[in-house]
Amino acid sequence: MNDLATPSMAPEAITAQLIATLEDFTADWDSEFEGDMNRDTKLLADLSFESIDIIQLVVAIEEDFGKRKLPFETLLMKDGRYVDDLSIGQISDFLAQQL
Amino acid sequence: MSKTLFIGLDGCTYTVLNEMTREIPGEGVTMPFMKSVMEAGARAKLASTPNPLTPPAWASIQTGRGPGHHGVFDFIRAEDKGGEIYWTLYDSRDIDCEFIWQIASRQGKKVAALNFPLTAPAPENVNGCVVPGFIPAKHLRRNTYPRELFDRMKQDIPGFDPKELAWDFDNEKQAMEKLSEEDTESWVRYHLPREEQWFRVAEYIMQNDDPDLMAVMFDGTDKIQHQAWAFLDPELVPTNPEPWEQRMRDVCLEYFRNLDGYIKRLVELAGPDAQVFFASDHGFTASTEVLRINAFLADKGYVKWAESDGSEQALRREASDFANLDWAGTTAYCRTPSSNGINIRVAQKPGDSGIPPEQYERFREKLIGDLYSLSNEKGEPVVIDVLKREDWFPGKHMERAPDLTLVLRDHGFVSIRNFQPVVIQRELAAGTHHPDGIFMAYGPGVAASGMIDRRQIVDVAPTLLHSVGLKVPKDFEGEVPTAFFSEQWLAQNPVQHGPKTQSPGERQAGEEMDEKEKQQLMEQLQMLGYME
Repeated sequence: MNDLATPSMAPEAITAQLIATLEDFTADWDSEFEGDMNRDTKLLADLSFESIDIIQLVVAIEEDFGKRKLPFETLLMKDGRYVDDLSIGQISDFLAQQL
Repeated sequence: MSKTLFIGLDGCTYTVLNEMTREIPGEGVTMPFMKSVMEAGARAKLASTPNPLTPPAWASIQTGRGPGHHGVFDFIRAEDKGGEIYWTLYDSRDIDCEFIWQIASRQGKKVAALNFPLTAPAPENVNGCVVPGFIPAKHLRRNTYPRELFDRMKQDIPGFDPKELAWDFDNEKQAMEKLSEEDTESWVRYHLPREEQWFRVAEYIMQNDDPDLMAVMFDGTDKIQHQAWAFLDPELVPTNPEPWEQRMRDVCLEYFRNLDGYIKRLVELAGPDAQVFFASDHGFTASTEVLRINAFLADKGYVKWAESDGSEQALRREASDFANLDWAGTTAYCRTPSSNGINIRVAQKPGDSGIPPEQYERFREKLIGDLYSLSNEKGEPVVIDVLKREDWFPGKHMERAPDLTLVLRDHGFVSIRNFQPVVIQRELAAGTHHPDGIFMAYGPGVAASGMIDRRQIVDVAPTLLHSVGLKVPKDFEGEVPTAFFSEQWLAQNPVQHGPKTQSPGERQAGEEMDEKEKQQLMEQLQMLGYME
C-alpha cells in the first residue's frame, strides 16, 4: 500500500495517488499518450485501455489504496450497461465517496 | 539445490503422454526423458475438481482444498445485483485458503511459484518469488513478486520478452474458437517460444535463488490440445495425412520434444537429491458435439435473450463469453461456457426479478428433470449428470458455485450462444477437458511403482509439503499417496499431520497483533526517552 493512501484522504490527494498508480500501471506500455495525466485524462481514449486493463486497474487501485471490495460496479455500469470510457476525475470522485 | 521440484503441466493426460514416451515408427520417442521418469517413478490418474477447469483445479492444487472452501469456480466471477450482473475475473484475493507457497514460507522454506493461475496479485508473506500466470504482459511487472525480480529477469535472462512469456487474451480466446488451417498451425507455433520463456525464467530462478520448493507450470499442453487434439489422440491421428495435417503433427511433436528438454534440464538443476512431482489440473479427451445450453433453456422458458439495438457495443457484448440476457425475464441460465453450470435467479427481496426463495427446491427439481430430458436429433441424452452444489461443493463458499453443474456425455463445455439447433455434431473433434489428469513422482525415495490407484487433486498439496519436510495441515482434504514412495524412505520420513492452515482472516489478525506489538514497542521507547 502506498504511503499516500490513508482512510481520510483529501480529494486532491486521492487524485494525486490515482495518477501515481496509473503512471506506474502504464509504465511499460507501448502507449502514444504524451503529457501529464490529469482529471480529464480518459482510460480508453487517452491511455489506450482495453477491458482486461480495467479489471487489472481495479485490483491495482484496491491494492494501492488498501481497500478491498469497493463497489466498482456502480462506477463501471450505468443502466445495466458498461460505460464507454472513464476519466481519472470520475474514478477519483468515486474513490472520494468510498474512502 | 531444490529439495522438491514441482512441474505443473496444464491439461496433461496419459492419452498423449503415453504416446510421446513410446517408440512410434517414423517418429521415434518424442519425450525420452519423460519415458525414463515414468519407468523409474510412480504415477496415478488424478481426479480433477467436479468441473475440471483450470482456475478451480489449480486453486485446489495450490491450497489442498476443494472449491467450496477456496471459493474459485470459474475464470469469470459474476455478482448478481438484482437487475444487473456485474462481471469480473477471479484473482488471488478470491482464494479464501492459504496457498502452499505461504504455508511453506511461514515455516522457513524458500519457495518459487512460476506461471500458476490465480497468483496475482502475489499472495502475502511469501518467502521467495511469484511470477504469476494468466496475466497479460502489460501487467506482469506490477504482479511479479518481489517487484525487483521483474527488472532482474529483464536484465539477466537473455531474450527475456514479457510479451512472449505472458498471456495475450485475444490469442488465448482462440483456444475454443474454430480456426482456419493456417491459424490453427500458427496457434500451436505461438506456444513454442512462450514455453521456452517460462523455462528460461525457471532455470534462472533455480540457478540464482535456490528455492527449497521450486514450482513451475507449463500451460502450452492445454492450449495445444484444445486446437490440435486430432493430431495428438492416437485414435484420431490421420493415417495418411495431408500436407497440412503432417505439419500440424510435426509442430505438436516439436512442442512436446522441447518440453521434454526443458523438464530434463530443470530436473538436472534440482540435483540428485531432489524429489520431482508432476501434476495436471485435468486431462483431455475429444468433444464431438456442441450443446447450446441457453438456447435450450430459452426454449423451456427459463431464459429470455437481451434485445440487441444493433450497436457496435451490443454486438461485442453478444459475442462475449458471458451470458447476455434480459435478466428480468430469466430464471435459470448458464453464465459462461467454462462454468458448465446453471445459475438459478432467486429474488433477493420482494419485487426483485427471479423466483421466490420458497419455490427454490421445486423449481430446481423441475429444472433437473428438463436437463436430463435434453437430447440430440437422434433422441440420445446429452447430459449424463447434474450435480447439486451442496453435494459437490461443500464449504463456506458453496453459494458462489452454480446451483447445478452439468456433466456432458463427451465431457464438452457448453455454448451460451443464441443459435439453433440446441445440439449439433462437430465437423472435427475438438479437445476438451477430461476429469482424469496426471500425477507422477520421480527421484530419491520414490518407488518404481508404475501406475497406482487414482488419486484426488487435493492430494497434490500435502504431497509437496511432505516432500519438502513439512507437516500436512489437519484441514487439508487430501492425503499423501504413500504408494509413491519406497518403504525405506517412508520409514525415515513418516507422514506427519500438523496444525490447521491459517485463513486470510487469521493472518490479518496476526498482522494486527504485530501492529499492536509495534505500538507497545513505541510506547516503551518513548518511556525510555528514545523517541519524542
